[in-house]
Amino acid sequence: MLKHTLLSAAMALAAVPALSAETEIVIQYPYGELFNDTHAQIAAAFSKVHPEIKVTFRAPYESYEEGTQKVLREAITGQMPDITFQGLNRIRIFVDRGIAQPLDSFIDADPTMEADGFHAAMYDIGTMNGQVYALPFAISLPIMYVNLDLVKQAGGNPDDLPETWDEVIALAKQIRAAGSDLNGLTYAWDITGNWLWQAPVFARGGTMLTPDETQVAFDGPEGVEAMRTLARLVSEAGMPNLNQADMRAAFAAGKTGLHFTSTSDLAKITGMIGGKFALKTVKFPGVVEGAGRLPAGGNLGIILTEDEEKRKAAWTVLKFWHGPEAAAIMARTTGYIPPNKKANDEYLKDFYVENPNNYTAVSQLALLTKWYAFPGENGLKITDVIKDHMNSIVTGARTGEPDAVLADMAADVQALLPAKTN
Amino acid sequence: MSEAAIPLRRAPAAARRRPRHVALAGLALSAPAIALMALFLIGPVGAVIGMSLTDYQLGARSWSFIGLDNYSALAGDAVFWKSLGNTLLYAAIVVPASFALGLGVALLIEAGRSFRAFYRAVFFVPVMATLIAMAISWEFMLHAQFGLINLTLISLGFAPQAWLANPDLALPTLAVIGIWQAFGFNMVLFLAGLVSIPRPLYDAAAMDGADGAFERFRLVTWPMLGPVSMFVLVISAIRSFQVFDTVHVLTKGGPSKATEVLLYSMYAEGFEFFRSGVAAAIATVFLVIVLALTLLKARAADRRVHYS
Repeated sequence: MLKHTLLSAAMALAAVPALSAETEIVIQYPYGELFNDTHAQIAAAFSKVHPEIKVTFRAPYESYEEGTQKVLREAITGQMPDITFQGLNRIRIFVDRGIAQPLDSFIDADPTMEADGFHAAMYDIGTMNGQVYALPFAISLPIMYVNLDLVKQAGGNPDDLPETWDEVIALAKQIRAAGSDLNGLTYAWDITGNWLWQAPVFARGGTMLTPDETQVAFDGPEGVEAMRTLARLVSEAGMPNLNQADMRAAFAAGKTGLHFTSTSDLAKITGMIGGKFALKTVKFPGVVEGAGRLPAGGNLGIILTEDEEKRKAAWTVLKFWHGPEAAAIMARTTGYIPPNKKANDEYLKDFYVENPNNYTAVSQLALLTKWYAFPGENGLKITDVIKDHMNSIVTGARTGEPDAVLADMAADVQALLPAKTN
Repeated sequence: MSEAAIPLRRAPAAARRRPRHVALAGLALSAPAIALMALFLIGPVGAVIGMSLTDYQLGARSWSFIGLDNYSALAGDAVFWKSLGNTLLYAAIVVPASFALGLGVALLIEAGRSFRAFYRAVFFVPVMATLIAMAISWEFMLHAQFGLINLTLISLGFAPQAWLANPDLALPTLAVIGIWQAFGFNMVLFLAGLVSIPRPLYDAAAMDGADGAFERFRLVTWPMLGPVSMFVLVISAIRSFQVFDTVHVLTKGGPSKATEVLLYSMYAEGFEFFRSGVAAAIATVFLVIVLALTLLKARAADRRVHYS
């Protein structure tokens, strides 16, 4: 009897939170060291507007890779968070496995979307098979970081910085000749998801695969040029074989003239330089007028909960997180740029005037395209194959034969693509 | 031939035909152990082997049996062969080196009179330390531009090396870390072996004229260490086949798969490429290799290295 009473009391207690008006939405996001402050500030702003929804965070994912892994595992055991933030190129995996929940019904039912700064290019990034499954939260684009002091020291003109790869290589040679311990340039070729392989190919108007996604297309003229340029960075510009962290350290120490990497590194690099030299960010070189595009890096928000009521609350959260106010918080606390139009045009106007290095990427926003994810069960394996072939150029093992490397890379990738299914 | 002609010694009748209830009691007594083994050992291994016959992908809602396709895909995968080759090469460097170093240090400590406990402790520290933490320390020391090792090389007038970024140096560098980590363990095993060698054997050898250090080693120490040596050899081999931590922390299998080893391939396939079926197939291959080594040890231990 006593046992029974205790049991029902315990059950009643357990049921209380579910009965209260407050809905809890659990969020998990990557790279705590970059985004902890961002999400905390957005959550504080959110709680003022929507006290009926309680947002809680799980410990951040260490990386995009870990984030994807975790959600896939949690999908099996049914322990997924309600909203997850994932690398922009990861959406395909979640859609293919039926884990991401489509957002179209919410977007169509909400008449204020456009007024809140949402636009077609934003939806496009999270679109798979004709449906929107995610909204981009933080965007990064590849840019060139320039050490103006070294450029001057090498006799270059800091007001006329390179716009083509030929000019980049020429300037890098000059900088290298100015001191025995100087690097002309470093190119963060190994950024996850072949990001800086896709960038020079897209910039020339190329694509990774044919439109029906059955044949390799990066071995066309755009890819040939991109691979040859990578080889020239090593053979002509003398790029050292460093990993990303070492490249960043060398650049921040004032030992490298030009550094190519993501805008997301801006806050970190600016902090590391600490005023030792004048830094300027410049647009990614060699983008062909008209056809040229650049792959959007960064992360996007996905709704995972399948519960009908929770999905509604999750949409309220997701929309706020991608809305103008939150997007402005994100831009101020990180080096990323928000895709939200209203945030950039209104909330961040002054910020960009004061921080012109942050504006470089915003000026490239029109070039935005999808960070491409390869189709089929071998999609991520393909990424690894491409990385290894690029590495053979960077280490010097096959620097002399970029065309042969590209041919091998195309053959290896083709073999891993799914056979055409109808 | 001749043995066949000799009639087999008759086994005691009781052993041949045990009463039924005794057999049942035996079964009942060993049932908990059998159940646990089935649950924690045989079950998971069976599941892995089963999964290696499917096209299951992490997080997928459906899968189908594809027979031996994963294995034939592995057979045609250059990365797998590279990975297997690297693992064998790593073992080929680490096993003999950590064996020789472990034996050498044990002999020196045993021969010396002072600071024995101190030396034992110092050389055993790498074994006890967490390899992940140690790998991070090594990462700092091996840093291409500011690392202690390169700074030392430069101050001595040598050219600095990209230890972990150069495909020719990366695996040997990891092997050196592996040796550093493993030889202390081998040393302790050899020390135990050395202590158990009866003194009279040395006295007898001395009486027969073998009183040089090398002669003593060749005639007494080395043969008497036979069982320990065999154990050290097999354990070192199995442990170096299991190398993963340093690869994961320092190189992620790169550059260009120069340090890809079996366990890392398994991790990458399963948790980076999400091809769980392929990962399970690699796990099965790994299992077969370790099983073969264990059987080899059991056989050799029975036949060759028994002196007691």
